[in-house]
Amino acid sequence: MGVASANTYIHRESVIHDWSPRLKLVSLGLLMFAFATVQQLALVPWMLGLAALLYGLSRLPMSFLRQRLSYPGLFILAVVVLLPLTVGETVLGQWGWLTLREEGLRATGLIVGRFLSILTLGFILLGTTPFLTLLGAMGSLGLPTLLADMTLLSYRYLFEIAAMLATMQQAMRLRGFGHSHQRWLRVNRHTMQQLAMLTGNLLIRSYEQSERVYKAMRLRGYGQSRQVAPAPATTSPWFSPLALHNWVLTGAVLVAAVGLVFAEMRLA
Amino acid sequence: MHIPDGILPAQVCAAGYAITGVATWYSLRQINRRPDPAAEVPKASLLTAAFFVASSIYIPVPPASVHLILNGLLGVVLGYFAFPAILIGLFFQALVIGHGGLTTLGVNATMMGVPALLAYHIFQSRSVLGKMLPEPTRTGLFAFLGGALGLGIAALIFLALIILNIPAELNATAEQAAVLTLSVGHIPLALVEGTFTAMLVLFLRRVKPELLEG
Repeated sequence: MGVASANTYIHRESVIHDWSPRLKLVSLGLLMFAFATVQQLALVPWMLGLAALLYGLSRLPMSFLRQRLSYPGLFILAVVVLLPLTVGETVLGQWGWLTLREEGLRATGLIVGRFLSILTLGFILLGTTPFLTLLGAMGSLGLPTLLADMTLLSYRYLFEIAAMLATMQQAMRLRGFGHSHQRWLRVNRHTMQQLAMLTGNLLIRSYEQSERVYKAMRLRGYGQSRQVAPAPATTSPWFSPLALHNWVLTGAVLVAAVGLVFAEMRLA
Repeated sequence: MHIPDGILPAQVCAAGYAITGVATWYSLRQINRRPDPAAEVPKASLLTAAFFVASSIYIPVPPASVHLILNGLLGVVLGYFAFPAILIGLFFQALVIGHGGLTTLGVNATMMGVPALLAYHIFQSRSVLGKMLPEPTRTGLFAFLGGALGLGIAALIFLALIILNIPAELNATAEQAAVLTLSVGHIPLALVEGTFTAMLVLFLRRVKPELLEG
């Protein structure tokens, strides 16, 4: 399931990497929503251009984008194949029973354009911000403590549990699971029972591990009254080069987001 | 059964985030009413990770296989922790495998999480609604209902969102036919999910009953 490839952060020297995580999260999030409002095909090249510009500024390698696009690309492939052939009245071309329709083609262009642009922004955010930093930024923006704790703990044990499942599945295969003949389009009750027990065992092992984890956390003071972390001794002045670059980038992205929404309203 | 970025208009994505906000607030309020909510965080977190990992298990149905959603089971086992767990799981899926999306995170969480909360209430009502039934039939039946309805309702929300939002040029008759066909197509999947949930819950009832205390 690709759990091993969770480390999405790629270290580079770039303005996007240096961008304050909180401002980056808010700005790119708003730009993603601005992209989602686009309904006019004429705005798609602008949207793709903006995403490409930000990706270029992030200095992330193209292989990162290609690799990450491979899974969701399958869904888009289905849209690209189905919509132009099934939706609309204006026929652009016909080959036997295959009919290419203009409305379907336009809808495909719009969906694929929005999809690629939003996904690229998501990958810029994840590729230029370490996961824990991102979580910290969400916390400072009001993410409830319980949700932040749960996210951190789940992330911490995700890979161990994935490895546990892989070991259990290998043990099942070594004992002959999956080698029996199964009839087409039939659910084998025995197979399903074995898989239910596998999942149940995974839950029980995780539950038992959680009890040990909780005891260790209690010993380290978890659940006691929280202490407020002391404020950093020095804060960067508003007009330092770093702060200036942060605000310029944030301003530029927000202007682009508002501009897109405004253009969409005018064109609509 | 995740809606990717770019499919839904911004208004629907924003509405999804609004419903997710309310459902998360409600779930956290219920959790914080418990005597020691902090004690349950590690259990809910590790089970969230386990559910995320377990969603990669497929049931073979030659020549293909059925992918389990497990949102009903999440509701049955985690109770009010199910909604935050689903939200976190979907966030990881968007992050790790690009499954779903960041703008559609709210919509996807609503689609999976609200039926999970419903599944929890269905399972909890077994002692009232199913008091005439003997054990373990009662537990198995209500687990089946929780699992099947969890997937069934999520599938209906998914289909309604997809068909109503893309594409505008599709005529009403075609929309209705597509909704009907896809809804009927999901009935066998809901039965498989319900049966799997019932089998798993009965296994947990025998081996680790405290996991079903919700």
